Amino acid sequence: MSYLEDSRENGDPVRPGEQWFFYWKTSAALWESRILQFPKTEIIFIPLYWGFHAESAAEWDFGRIQSERDLVRLVQLLTQHGRRFCWVLPLSPAPFFPNGGVPAFAARTLSIAREGVLMASLDRDQNLNKMLSFYEPKVYGAFTGFLRAFEAFLTEHQVQSPVWGAEFFYLEDGHKISFLEDWSVAFDHGFSRYVRQKFPTGTGLADESDLKTVFRSEVSSLFLQSAESVLTTYWMGKMPVTVLGSSPRDCIQRSMPSGKSQLSYTRELVHLYMHDQWISSSLLTNTEKKDLLPFILADQFSSSDAEEKFQFQLPRTDLTEEYRPFGVVEIFSKDESLRKMGLLKFLDDNYRSLYQFSDSFAFTNEWVQGSQHKIKLFQGGALDRLGFAQILKLFMLGQRILLDVQDLPLELDKRLQVFLIENNIKNQTLNFVTAISVFELGDGRLITFDGKKLIGKPEQKNFWHQIFKYFNLTQPEVTMDDDLFSFWKIRSTSGHELNYLDVRRVNFYNPTSYKKHVTINTKNHFAFLRAADSLRASAKSVSQRVEVELLPNGKISLDFGHYEEAPCR
Amino acid sequence: MPLTLIYHFRPSESLEASFVPASYRVVYFFSDQGFLEQSLLQEMSKSVPDADHDLLSFLSLDDLRAFGSRVCQEVGSGEVRLISIQDYNIGVDGARDLKGFQAVFTKFGETVVNEEASKKKGFLGKLFS
Repeated sequence: MSYLEDSRENGDPVRPGEQWFFYWKTSAALWESRILQFPKTEIIFIPLYWGFHAESAAEWDFGRIQSERDLVRLVQLLTQHGRRFCWVLPLSPAPFFPNGGVPAFAARTLSIAREGVLMASLDRDQNLNKMLSFYEPKVYGAFTGFLRAFEAFLTEHQVQSPVWGAEFFYLEDGHKISFLEDWSVAFDHGFSRYVRQKFPTGTGLADESDLKTVFRSEVSSLFLQSAESVLTTYWMGKMPVTVLGSSPRDCIQRSMPSGKSQLSYTRELVHLYMHDQWISSSLLTNTEKKDLLPFILADQFSSSDAEEKFQFQLPRTDLTEEYRPFGVVEIFSKDESLRKMGLLKFLDDNYRSLYQFSDSFAFTNEWVQGSQHKIKLFQGGALDRLGFAQILKLFMLGQRILLDVQDLPLELDKRLQVFLIENNIKNQTLNFVTAISVFELGDGRLITFDGKKLIGKPEQKNFWHQIFKYFNLTQPEVTMDDDLFSFWKIRSTSGHELNYLDVRRVNFYNPTSYKKHVTINTKNHFAFLRAADSLRASAKSVSQRVEVELLPNGKISLDFGHYEEAPCR
Repeated sequence: MPLTLIYHFRPSESLEASFVPASYRVVYFFSDQGFLEQSLLQEMSKSVPDADHDLLSFLSLDDLRAFGSRVCQEVGSGEVRLISIQDYNIGVDGARDLKGFQAVFTKFGETVVNEEASKKKGFLGKLFS
């Protein structure tokens, strides 16, 4: 192991939400100066390179043997300088650790990607980190050994810092793939053992690939549950983290003289933002984090976003004078049928970057209030009783719900009918491509439709147009090329903006090498207030629209005052 | 501008009712300027009879060589290096850093020379001459 290799300057300031301190890369003598380089107000994340602490299979060192493993000193320095910090415990191979984090004594089988290539990632110091399979029984044994030793260390030294578990992912062709996905012989052997144990009389007609998915998920749960049960008082939860530039394809591309383009990185960042994913750009070199990338990272994955994500602050509910991310639609499904039924195309054409996907929702007061303005789309096939009850509650709380009833379990369908009768809610039904039912309760709107009937239909565009027309969303209309990107934010008005209901900011980025134009039609609900933070870009206001010119790698922010809220219908 | 093609060999399989022949599937195909467009590769694969154009899968190593050579002609490259996944993995296993990783693409595999390139320049050759 060599030290003093961390090439990051000043704690990598281009990424405020990503204060990851790679203590094992820096000589312990330099820790203090490194820590002082981090902005004082921001949380420092300390990834636990657990393999680095293995002195032998039975002995874990936190500083007794090697000073670079001295976590007591690290904690003392952080505390002495008043820094907030949390540990990040990998629950999968992590691409910024040698061996993916696995200790040398347990490193036996290299992890293999679906295409058959070894899983390896180039880090920002141009080291090639090879991932070791987590399906090797020795790895799990080592992991639990580390957990016990780490818990004893935290207890002995009364370290009161939280621990977040992290499963790491890479992006390939728009798909998020876990570093736990592994096609190595270690996986195959583990799977055979699992099948023999679970299905002693044979698997019958069960599909092998489905069984492999279940096995993978059970192994993932095993690592998570072990961490949860050992680190009980310190444990915060599991955070999925997608690491930019870490896929097998990225490894090849980043090794080329041309590298991976800024356009590709930007596209991925937008995808991750829309899928509510937390990211790490820790593998990227300063040369790769150039042009617009630092701005997008700082603007859209900021420190306050990190604080909210890692529960250092409560989710923002009421609007404040600080900008926060804004969207109009939230989709609780990743079903490919959304694309087939034309919804994603419609949203891309009309509400680009104003919709987000979520895996689940935490049904808390903060979440309900904070997302009141968003139309929420659910698919019946993915719902259970609890989730369905919460959707009905959202409707009663005045929210706008779109429910695709294809594959809605019969039990839930009956529950819906009973709910409507009990609450004496009348519905309006109409047939347009599919049977649509509209229910109203106070401000609440519930629209049910059968998405299956939209698939492949030429009228699908008109269908979505009519549905969204009913919701009467007020939003400036943006016309721009596919390889330009935008993000919306919202804030409350300040003292001199009382004519407006709120202020919306849109950030435009042009990561291409061409000059591009954007037109924003403000319609009758928005007034252009100002342009800000422009870089190689300009904007001019022409009756009810704003015209923007963005040179290559140009960016600009535009503020609009929202001055009229039309009621629903 | 040399090209690199990484392929996955799958041996033939006799399933219950059918026989699946051996195949050589293209996993990555790139130059030092980046990955080649999938649509271009699919189009070029049409020059090889019996290839699976969607999956970019070929029945023999000779077919794969012919395909590589055809792509060389199209983009004006002098050669393509064909590296099997097994060789790629051996190389990656032995590499420690960027330099070692880049060396995988020059140390392993076999080179197919595009004879036409010396006689005729493709569009990239014309550009960079």
